[in-house]
Amino acid sequence: MDLSEQQVGRVWVVTARGRLDATTSNMFAQKIDALVTGSEPRLLVDFADVDFVSSAGLRAVLMLVKKVKSLKGTLALCAVQAPVREVLDITGFAGMIDIHAERMAALAALS
Amino acid sequence: MNQFTAGIVPSAAAIAQLTCKVSDFLQEAGVDARAVHHVGLVIDEILTNLATHGGNNCAQATVVIDVHADHIAAEIADHGRPFDPRVPASVDPEAPAEEREFGGLGLHLVQQLTSALHYRHDGDRNRTTFCIARTQERKKG
Repeated sequence: MDLSEQQVGRVWVVTARGRLDATTSNMFAQKIDALVTGSEPRLLVDFADVDFVSSAGLRAVLMLVKKVKSLKGTLALCAVQAPVREVLDITGFAGMIDIHAERMAALAALS
Repeated sequence: MNQFTAGIVPSAAAIAQLTCKVSDFLQEAGVDARAVHHVGLVIDEILTNLATHGGNNCAQATVVIDVHADHIAAEIADHGRPFDPRVPASVDPEAPAEEREFGGLGLHLVQQLTSALHYRHDGDRNRTTFCIARTQERKKG
C-alpha cells in the first residue's frame, strides 16, 4: 500500500493506494496515527485506489476512529469502491465514519 | 467451468500473494468486481484465522475455486485445529465506535458475504466450503 498526505486548510488528506490487509494495516495505522494530533483533528482518507480491505484493515481503521473521536475530531473517507463500501456497510463501519462520494464534497464538509 | 487450485503455507505475506492470484484468475474469467473482491476477502479471512489459531499442523492448506455461471464455489482444506466458521461472530454492527471490539470482524465478514457456508472435519482435515453469487451484467441491445 502507498500512502501520501497533504494538508488542505485544517484537514489532513491522505491518499491511499493498494490493499489494506494484514501486511499493510500496521503501516497504514502508524502513518495516519502520526497525523492525529492536537484537539479536534480532521482527517480525510481518499480510498479511490484502495481495491481490497480485510478485517485486519478494518481493525486499523477502528483504532484510528477511536483515537480521533477521543480527541473530538473527525475521520472521513471518500471515493470508496463499491465492494469495499459493502464491507464497511455490513460491519457497521459506515455508521461510525463519514463517507463521501468524492474528495471535494468531503473537504467542503470537513472545512 | 474454470478452476483455480493452489497450495499455501499460510502467513500474512503468502495469503496476500495468494489472494492477488485469486483476483487475477477471477478477473480473467470475467467475474464481476464485487465477487472478485469478496471471494479473495473470504479466503484471506479463513486462511488468516488458520495462520493465527490453527496450531502447528496447518503447514499446508489447499484452496480450490470453481467459476460457475451464476456463482463462485470455493473449498479450503487444512490440517489445523478444528474450527467451524459458522459459530456466531461477536460483532454488533450497530454499536458506536467507543464500544466496538476489535475481534470477530473476520468471522462476521465470512458469514455475511457467503452463501452455502459449510464445514466438516474429516479425519485430521478441515474442509470449509462456501459460495458467492456473481452479479450478472446486462447485455446491451
